[in-house]
Amino acid sequence: MRRMLDLIYTSALVASAGALVTIAVLVFAQIGGRILDRFLLAMGREVVGFQVPSLAEIGGFLFVGAAFLALPATLRAAGHVRVTMLAQALPGAAARAVTIIVLAAGLGLAAFAAWHSGVQAQDSWAFNSVSFGMVRVPLWIPQGVMTLGLILFAVALADELVAALRGATPAFREAEAARSIDDGGH
Amino acid sequence: MDLFTLSLILVAVLFVCLALGLWVGFSLIAVGLVAMTLATPAPVGAVFGTKAWAALNIWDLTALPMFIWMGEILFRSRLSSDLFTGLAPFTRRLPGGLLHVNIMGCALFAAVSGSSAATTATVGRMSLPELKARGYDDKMAIGTLAGSGTFGFLIPPSIILIVYGAATEQSIARLFLAGVLPGLMLAAMFGGYTMFWAWRNRHLMPPPEPPAPWREKIRAAALLLPTVGLIVAVIGSIYGGLASPTEAAVVGVVGALAISGLSGGLDRKGAWDSLRGAAVTTCMIAFILVGAAFLTGAMGYTGIPRSLAAWIGDQGFSQYALLAALLVFFIVLGFFLDGISIVVLTVSVILPMVLAAGIDPIWFGVFLVLVVEMSQITPPVGFNLFVLQSITGKGIFTIARYAAPFFFLLVAATVILTLFPQIALWLPSTMSAR
Amino acid sequence: QTAWDMPTPYGDTVFHTMNIMEFADDVREATGGQLDITVHSAGSLFGHPEIKDAVRRGLAPIGEILLSRLANENPLFEADSIPFLADSYADARALWAASRPAVEALLAEQGLTLLYAVPWPGQSLYLTEEVTDPAALQGVTFRAYNTATEQLANILGMVPTQVEAGDIPTAFATGRVAAMMTSPSTGVSSQAWDFTSVYVDVNAWLPKNVIFVNTEALNALPEDQRAGLLAAAAEAEARGWAMSEAETATQIATLESNGMTVVQPSEALSAALAAAGAQMTEEWLARAGDEGAAIVAAYEAAQ
Ligand code: NA
Ligand code: NA
Repeated sequence: MRRMLDLIYTSALVASAGALVTIAVLVFAQIGGRILDRFLLAMGREVVGFQVPSLAEIGGFLFVGAAFLALPATLRAAGHVRVTMLAQALPGAAARAVTIIVLAAGLGLAAFAAWHSGVQAQDSWAFNSVSFGMVRVPLWIPQGVMTLGLILFAVALADELVAALRGATPAFREAEAARSIDDGGH
Repeated sequence: MDLFTLSLILVAVLFVCLALGLWVGFSLIAVGLVAMTLATPAPVGAVFGTKAWAALNIWDLTALPMFIWMGEILFRSRLSSDLFTGLAPFTRRLPGGLLHVNIMGCALFAAVSGSSAATTATVGRMSLPELKARGYDDKMAIGTLAGSGTFGFLIPPSIILIVYGAATEQSIARLFLAGVLPGLMLAAMFGGYTMFWAWRNRHLMPPPEPPAPWREKIRAAALLLPTVGLIVAVIGSIYGGLASPTEAAVVGVVGALAISGLSGGLDRKGAWDSLRGAAVTTCMIAFILVGAAFLTGAMGYTGIPRSLAAWIGDQGFSQYALLAALLVFFIVLGFFLDGISIVVLTVSVILPMVLAAGIDPIWFGVFLVLVVEMSQITPPVGFNLFVLQSITGKGIFTIARYAAPFFFLLVAATVILTLFPQIALWLPSTMSAR
Repeated sequence: QTAWDMPTPYGDTVFHTMNIMEFADDVREATGGQLDITVHSAGSLFGHPEIKDAVRRGLAPIGEILLSRLANENPLFEADSIPFLADSYADARALWAASRPAVEALLAEQGLTLLYAVPWPGQSLYLTEEVTDPAALQGVTFRAYNTATEQLANILGMVPTQVEAGDIPTAFATGRVAAMMTSPSTGVSSQAWDFTSVYVDVNAWLPKNVIFVNTEALNALPEDQRAGLLAAAAEAEARGWAMSEAETATQIATLESNGMTVVQPSEALSAALAAAGAQMTEEWLARAGDEGAAIVAAYEAAQ
């Protein structure tokens, strides 16, 4: 179970990184097209006018994918920002209780977010909503990826909550502790 | 429920969520949920879905992960330490020494990037570990960075000015020009303060080194070449018409990959770590953007920012009194909302009274950017604070305290700009000559 | 009392938004304040891409969009954006009369009721250098933001170039793009004289903004409020067309007074543009099928 969950979080992170690399490759191709045209123009030849169709829209979709798919891994790496003053000030048992409350609240909100993101993707599917630019992209695809990211986020929060309820230290608490030692924060 | 009670409840909810340690993105979502549940019959879940989607489905945002990725690559290559070793002989004699790298680095980087989060994250990832290794005071190292990171918005290109220009039908070209001199002025003020601080707090500065012979200076300058080349490539790609400001971020990534590949500093693990770091930092910022966008939508439904702004409009203030009132209003909103949200939510109510008071709309754009910059470094909701917390592991209130002097310098800059509006308006006025 | 939030995409100084503000006032007056519409301009409640589905899903009861943004859904939505099919206000009126039932029916399928539509002034050419010979357009980079503008550029031998709205001044200043097509209104509001120098008054097409309402929300209104709303909409439509037409001349004059060279297209250029328009009409008819053919037939009969 543990290995499977970790595999899921890592796969989502790899997909997120893949989206970032795709953005870089597409944009670089677009810039390369302009450089080629400059070169051809300087040689007195006709320009090719190469461009990545709908680059701006597709870039936006890829950014959505990259951001939402990294949610679980970011949570576990303590990448998400929160105020840790109380957690640090309280004695062990009370701090654990607060961690459980925070994880439960986060899980509830993530479930809310995932549910309504799913409804939105389903509506876009039912409405046949499509993008506006040159390439006709059905909106349920990027919205579906967004929903998947939020579902995995909820799973990761549930995972951490179960760990905390069992009396273990959730991964994000470990990462927070490790970071504050590294940086000599306290 | 009247808006005053509602506002109090919302502020209380925000503080309880944040104090408990609920993640910032979730805290903003929670406040939005409470606001919409109490104040409007609109379907809150559907509004959340739409705002979350629209918050991130934005082409200009793609520059953010690219610049962060670039910073991650440079941080893992020898380039960032070379940069500091290279600059050291030149800044040695300057009070404040390498702290000026933060300010100058951010000012330079701001000429490339339109966002303050990207500027703070990229420069911070490179400079903070180096400053720490060289024995600089944490408080000042982080404070200068938090303050200077906000140049991203003032020195063109600027996301805030694009949003303001689009909402108010002002020329984006003129707005960009208007930001240049105030940006340089602010950099000079921050530099001056840093010198003053270093002069007063000599005991907190690393021991001064002997002046460098010219031979060493030349050797040091050679170390700077790759960094200078990278900056020239990124800025040059924009001004040479090869890339839009958004696309130029990828020039930075490719350049950073090329340099660190050539210098042999980046292996497979380093490459993956840099990409992973970029994904995680991007996700952190994006998640807060989602929360902020939902809260902005909720605020639009409740009408709180509109009513507050309209109330100021009803007071019949004179020009200076109006600006002072708006300054306070924006600082207060800036504690709780992010900068772009503030502009989007209030500009439609505020611009008419600003114009009625005879204030130049281009000038007001620069004024807005300055107050938005303040909001970046005021707790509990400030994006530079979040970025710096994720880099340093220090709490946002601690970082906000470090950044406080720069907040006051920003206030001072708005006062100077109010007394001498030509600082903003002179450059754009040269455009009408054509 | 019913309170309606109305998301709109454009800023407060755009005549479309001013017309909507007046429309909201008229509705308040006609319903004795019982129907109160709050206009959220400049995308402050929902952005342009989200407005239609937001109204459709009941997040806001009423909204405004540029009709041709829906071209990827159905080619009938871009009938008003075919170059030189209808290039004057009289023609635009006739084309709207011919296409309105189809647009209404398509929106009705989505649970939306069309209230009214108002055109932008004609789309004209903004250049950095004066062009009289169409051959001079060869190889010039032209801002393309959808399939239709891309196709237009290709037919004219120009190089279609994607430039996002906020990036336009930088793109012109740095030479990534050298020509664009937009209305004199947008030219003035974006202060096109900062980055272009020639305005060629070609009036290629008059795209429209549509104001529509969620049908369920409309039916939930009491009879007298619904009547007040529809009456105000009819008035807003008439007023909006007049505002648009009046705006054309004043905005062109503003372009000129800010130093832009305002010219009429040369005969050769007009002919080249008309040929491109004819080709694009054919292509559109191939895509839009029988319904498209019916619209063009009705339009030509009315002319
Ligand atoms: Na900038
Ligand atoms: Na703040």
